[in-house]
Amino acid sequence: MRSLTAKQKNLIWIWVFLTPCLLTFLLFYLAPILTLAYTSFTDWDGANSPAFTGLANYIYLFHTSDFQRALINLLLWSVIAGTFHVFFGVLIALLLYKKPHGWKFVETVFMIPNVISMAAWAMIYRFVFNGSYGILNGIIRIFSPGFSVNWLFESPYAFFAVTLTWLFYAVVVTLLVLGDLKAIPPDLHEAARIDGASEWYITRKINLPLCRNSIGTAVICSISARISMYETISLTTRGGPGNDTMNIPLILVNAINDSKYGYANASGMVMLLIGIVLLVVVNKAFRMNESVY
Amino acid sequence: MNHIKKIIQSVLIYIVLGFTVIISIFPIIWVVFSSFKTNAQILSSPFSLPTSLGFGAYQAVFKQTDFLMYTLNSLLIAAISTAISLVIYAMAAYVIARYDFKGKNLVYSLFVITLLVPSQCKAQPIFSLIIQLNLYDTKTALVLVYIAAGMAMSLFILKNTFMSIPKDFSEAAWMEGSGFLRTFFSINLPMAKSGMATAGILMFLGNWNEYFFAMLLTTSPACRTLPVALASFNETYSYNYTNMFAALTMAILPGILIYAFAQDQVTNSIVASGIKG
Repeated sequence: MRSLTAKQKNLIWIWVFLTPCLLTFLLFYLAPILTLAYTSFTDWDGANSPAFTGLANYIYLFHTSDFQRALINLLLWSVIAGTFHVFFGVLIALLLYKKPHGWKFVETVFMIPNVISMAAWAMIYRFVFNGSYGILNGIIRIFSPGFSVNWLFESPYAFFAVTLTWLFYAVVVTLLVLGDLKAIPPDLHEAARIDGASEWYITRKINLPLCRNSIGTAVICSISARISMYETISLTTRGGPGNDTMNIPLILVNAINDSKYGYANASGMVMLLIGIVLLVVVNKAFRMNESVY
Repeated sequence: MNHIKKIIQSVLIYIVLGFTVIISIFPIIWVVFSSFKTNAQILSSPFSLPTSLGFGAYQAVFKQTDFLMYTLNSLLIAAISTAISLVIYAMAAYVIARYDFKGKNLVYSLFVITLLVPSQCKAQPIFSLIIQLNLYDTKTALVLVYIAAGMAMSLFILKNTFMSIPKDFSEAAWMEGSGFLRTFFSINLPMAKSGMATAGILMFLGNWNEYFFAMLLTTSPACRTLPVALASFNETYSYNYTNMFAALTMAILPGILIYAFAQDQVTNSIVASGIKG
């Protein structure tokens, strides 16, 4: 047998090095997604083999009021995330970029809600919004004694209460945009200043357009987080009151618990597809594939 | 006139920044303070400072629940899955960064595109897979799922790290007769420390905080992680707020500590995770 050349030996090692990663990919990504796609068209309880039913799961899904409400909520939350949430994050980035006194402290503290678990965060907000001893009612009672709203469990407040658990926590947006801001060559600003441009003009006409990519990424990240939001709903309102705060992951988990696997996977497919559409649309809207300079 | 405008402007800036600081830490400080107050104090005066600094509630949490075990479970699962991930993703990232071979772009694209898959949408297939592997309600199940969860991010960070290491070092080692394995383990891996730290801390934090799959794939207290345990305390302590707040304080502390000690890595990894490919 011929001995292997150095190049062939390398090729063997290359694939040896890739194998664990490939196996993980096959087992935990490719196989699950294929299963997801196929069984979403079947009636399946996990015990018996899946029976093909075409679009029945999807049709049923779109006819339930829970799922309709989940889609409306996702749309509303996505709009809020893509506008106000991103706006707030960009605003903080623009302020921190000027390095006012204490900017480092603000950046550090802003990050803290992001490093603790969403489960703990959901629990904290359960107490913030608690009807009898929560902070929010505590603050309101200073002005109006005897005030009592159980924010997470009364319609129509629950939707807004859940929204507030993430609305201002836009540190990811801030960090992404700051990264782009810091990459802007200083001569651009100097040239603009020499031409007599105001700071506001520089922000609007130079800084923001050059942050197009990071703002686009921030919109994708913020809306993706809404698609997969789970803890802050399941540990607070559980989709209620009624189905005011219902969302797709909650429906999916309930369906798994009821052994309606085909139905669960149809809702999983909807999540996956919404994510892909979001990516394509935002990419186009922000022209993210084009270079900014 | 200009002077006044400037003052107003900076007042506005500090109002916005002050608001950001308050919403970020006030809820947490309130939880910590409440853990030192009595039930009655929590109910009657939510904003009063604690009157004494007793750790009674903390002791009670350890006595009444298996808090220590849940913490150790979380630590064990997060540490093992992070360590294994680092090894296998560093290996893959290294060959992708350093060598040209057939199918390289396809493989890398497939690995990185997994970032676009919301992990919850795979819940049922993974649930069934874990049951088929006979791993339901085991720590191993969570380790496997968490290893997979870090794939795209770690590969992305580590590939860039290996690409930034000059090729000369590997070539010099190669000339001196060092083989494939040695070139990787004793030349390239030590030089990739910073990327490994960034990817490692990102994965550890993510695994430590993970709730969804921990809730889905385990039932018995013996495999329960801290985030899941925390959710169950809600029933245990439905009328003992002091203990609940003490448990919450202890649960959020480790994440904040990791952040305090590795602030740059955490910040970098957040930026990297957004930029992706």
